[in-house]
Amino acid sequence: MKTSKKEQTRIKERSKKADEKQKNILEMLKSHGAKIYDDLDNGQFPKFSIPSRSVSNIVYDKKLRQYILGNNAAVRSSRNSAQLRSFTQLMWLAFFANRLTHEKKSSTLRDVYYSSQAFAIEFDDQSESDNIIVDLEAVTSKPREDFHIFPEERSSIFGDLNIEYTIPGYEGKTMNLSNHPDGYSIGPSLTTAELVDTSAEIVIAIEKGGLFTRFVEEQIDKKFKSIIINTGGQAPRSTRTLLKRLHDEMKLPVIVLTDGDVYGEHIAMVIKSGSANAAHLRELTVPDAKWVGVWATDIEKYKLPTIPMTESDIKRCYDLQKDPRYQDGIWKKELDVFLRLKRKAELEAFSKYGLTNITDKYLPQKLELAKSL
Amino acid sequence: MSSIKEKFNQISPSEFFYSNRDLAGFSNPTRSLYTAVREFVENALDACDQKGILPDVHLTIKAVEPEKPDPKPYILTVKDNGPGIDAEHIPLAFGTVLYGSKFGLKQARGMFGLGATMAILYGQITTNKPVIVKSSIDGEIQNQFEILLDIQKNKPVIVKHTTKEVSKKGLSVSICLEGDYSKAGNKIRDYVYETSLITPYASITFDDPKGQKFSHSRFVKEIPPPPTIIKPHPHGIDVERIRRMIVESQFEIPTIDDAMIEKVRKDLGLSIKNLSFTSIMDKAKKKWKTLSRQVRVVIALMSFLKMDFEKLNKIKIEDLDIPNKKLFYWDFGDSQSKSVDMDPESQYYKQLTNTVQGEPLTTFLTKRFQRIGPTTAVKFAEFANLKPERRMGTLSNQELVQLSDSLQKFEDFMAPDSSCLAPLGEEPLEKGIKKFFNPDFTAVVQRPASAYSGFPFIIEMGIAYGGEIKSGGPHVYRYANRIPLLYDEGSDVVLKVVNDTDWGRYKVKGDPPFIIVSHICSTRIPYKTAGKENVADRQEIERELRLGLQFLSRKLAAYMSKRGQADMAKKRANLYAKYIPLIAEFCTELAGKKKEPNYKKILEDNAVESKKPVKEEKVIENK
Repeated sequence: MKTSKKEQTRIKERSKKADEKQKNILEMLKSHGAKIYDDLDNGQFPKFSIPSRSVSNIVYDKKLRQYILGNNAAVRSSRNSAQLRSFTQLMWLAFFANRLTHEKKSSTLRDVYYSSQAFAIEFDDQSESDNIIVDLEAVTSKPREDFHIFPEERSSIFGDLNIEYTIPGYEGKTMNLSNHPDGYSIGPSLTTAELVDTSAEIVIAIEKGGLFTRFVEEQIDKKFKSIIINTGGQAPRSTRTLLKRLHDEMKLPVIVLTDGDVYGEHIAMVIKSGSANAAHLRELTVPDAKWVGVWATDIEKYKLPTIPMTESDIKRCYDLQKDPRYQDGIWKKELDVFLRLKRKAELEAFSKYGLTNITDKYLPQKLELAKSL
Repeated sequence: MSSIKEKFNQISPSEFFYSNRDLAGFSNPTRSLYTAVREFVENALDACDQKGILPDVHLTIKAVEPEKPDPKPYILTVKDNGPGIDAEHIPLAFGTVLYGSKFGLKQARGMFGLGATMAILYGQITTNKPVIVKSSIDGEIQNQFEILLDIQKNKPVIVKHTTKEVSKKGLSVSICLEGDYSKAGNKIRDYVYETSLITPYASITFDDPKGQKFSHSRFVKEIPPPPTIIKPHPHGIDVERIRRMIVESQFEIPTIDDAMIEKVRKDLGLSIKNLSFTSIMDKAKKKWKTLSRQVRVVIALMSFLKMDFEKLNKIKIEDLDIPNKKLFYWDFGDSQSKSVDMDPESQYYKQLTNTVQGEPLTTFLTKRFQRIGPTTAVKFAEFANLKPERRMGTLSNQELVQLSDSLQKFEDFMAPDSSCLAPLGEEPLEKGIKKFFNPDFTAVVQRPASAYSGFPFIIEMGIAYGGEIKSGGPHVYRYANRIPLLYDEGSDVVLKVVNDTDWGRYKVKGDPPFIIVSHICSTRIPYKTAGKENVADRQEIERELRLGLQFLSRKLAAYMSKRGQADMAKKRANLYAKYIPLIAEFCTELAGKKKEPNYKKILEDNAVESKKPVKEEKVIENK
């Protein structure tokens, strides 16, 4: 009885917190809408300013350890006939997001593209509507997830973590994420859920679904007291948000395990310090995250079978050499070795020495190493 | 050596043209029919222009046997309301090659009236039918001739000559020739159409072999001022021309026969009784100013011979030796040659010198060329390294060449007189363009007169855009001396200038509906070929065309940007009307309001007042 009362207060508090967040979003949208409304009512062409996302306005902030937008902003005006269409599209998106938030419904990027057609707002293709979504993020400095717009799911999580849903119809319902061996996909309900408690001491983010399954089979969660996350390649924003919350709220260190190539290295970097594409957003990075492998130096050290780099791999190496984040530490060192080797190795390469070689030998060594990184 | 003897035969002009008829545009039945139409229509228009008559020209082409396939004989008739031709001149004018009245220096469509005879010649060769000429110069009697050409002798053969009473002046020429109307029809219709554009003061009708009637009525009631015949400009002259001019300026010693003596006696007003030498001389001195040149020469000769009419009758003048001041004559009575000395101080001596040796250089220049005054003439003489008082008749061949070269090179002559040119004028040209194309925009320009190699020329140009003009422009309508040029446009200087223009710079893009009309007026159009279809790219002409086109293009650009702005405003208004209501709808819900904002004001403020395309105000440049 006592506990249940305590439970109830906790639930109430939690849902109050979620309500608060929703209220803030709605207030913000309303204030934007009111300004436009007033302009029109006064016979003025409405306009607003929007931070410039051009390359020249994307700068690296050493303090924040991520890319941010500079001070350049552009005015988008409905008087300008060249901007009128995108202005209207953005207005519609705000209007649509407002409805989603009100009704606590979620939608995907693709949904947005199709929903527009019901309002005589034409988008040429999904990339145009995706672009307008980024505009909305930039104007409001809020990620699209806050407006209940999510990308397609492809990443998953497994491990001893109790969560409590906040989405409509599931409020107060809890779940332990080690109950299902295939893992739980990281979608809107999981991203917005409260993180209750965990016995884990570390988060292992892994690039590939195949290795994720192996790790679950080999009970890495238990052996190393860890939460395992499959990023499914480049980590989606919802996954990066979850990683950040696990780090910030549950105080868990995050390590990243990728293929031994330049793209793997960059997957780790994006988890750590974000991408230029999302320079208009904060709260998406885990600056303390550690990339533990597969390093270029591991290829030689563990005598991994390799495949040659493609031309685009090599070009990518040269591109990243210009990135301020790759100017020192292991980031620079490993990039240089990749360029020297001109060869790469996948996570599965360890299978040459037995299927469990990676979990039995490599992972423990790397976890040990991570402590000193 | 070789025993082959070449035969040299003199051939008549008719024979020459017969064997070289493709030079004049009679190479095949298609081209020939078209050329024949041109020659007769142009002669008709020229005849009316010269007499200041508003032309009514009727062109008829009829197949002799309509069912026969082309090429086949056609009867071509062109009738005008011009001055007509004197009955006595008709046989020569239509039955001889190189007989014409257009040899003066002024602008006309045809140069020598040569083409019409060529057409007649061609008709006779292909169908063996005579030309039928009907002419009335008084509007009462009409002379009707049927004429054949004797090609070898270059002489007319009158087959039939009748007269009848009529009520109208004018000329009608009808020939039978082999032609191909199915192929030439398009060109002929284009020719008639384009001619009426550049001749807006003429009414032209065309009855074609298929029974169709094309009628272009006059829409300008005034004839542009006719050109005047002028003297040549020194820059446009060559040695041969100078030689001819000298011959014209020289005066032969007249034959002194009974008739001449009788004329001198009459002109002096002497009765038969007082015919003594002294009384003749006294009378001549008194009446000198009224005497004709011929009579003066006879008097001058008599003064040195000291003879009366009776004695004069018995001699024959043999030679005037000016340097030795001697006069030689043959005495019939003594049957021997005699001479007398001439006193160089005598005023009669000067008279004779002038006659035999021609005028002094400066007089020759000022009297026989346009725009040379005494001062320029003296300056030129110095430039040409010839004495100003040098007699023209005494110039050697080499000196003639030297004179001709210097005339070309001397730069202080004034620009050629352009009064011999007859441009259409900006207003009629613009009217024509507007009537023919009903465009949204028209601009015309007449450049100031200029000259190439001593031949004056004037460029007139027009440009029009939009309206009923079909897209795919610029469509270029080329004219020279009011003749449309339809063939061989590829190598024409006008096309070259148009094609060199970067129309994008003048805001003309895509597949624009626009036309360009260019009219070159000159006493001599530098055609590339004898077919008179394309104009050679003389530097001076190209420059004037370029300047004219640039001027018009700038006008067009100004119009286009205005039109572009109007289009943009309309487009923008449409965009506002489409999107602003949507924005209003979305922000109403976003702001949590029930009533939509009053956005009508924005739409009204930005509405385009007129839906009509922009019409340009009259653009005529006056210089």
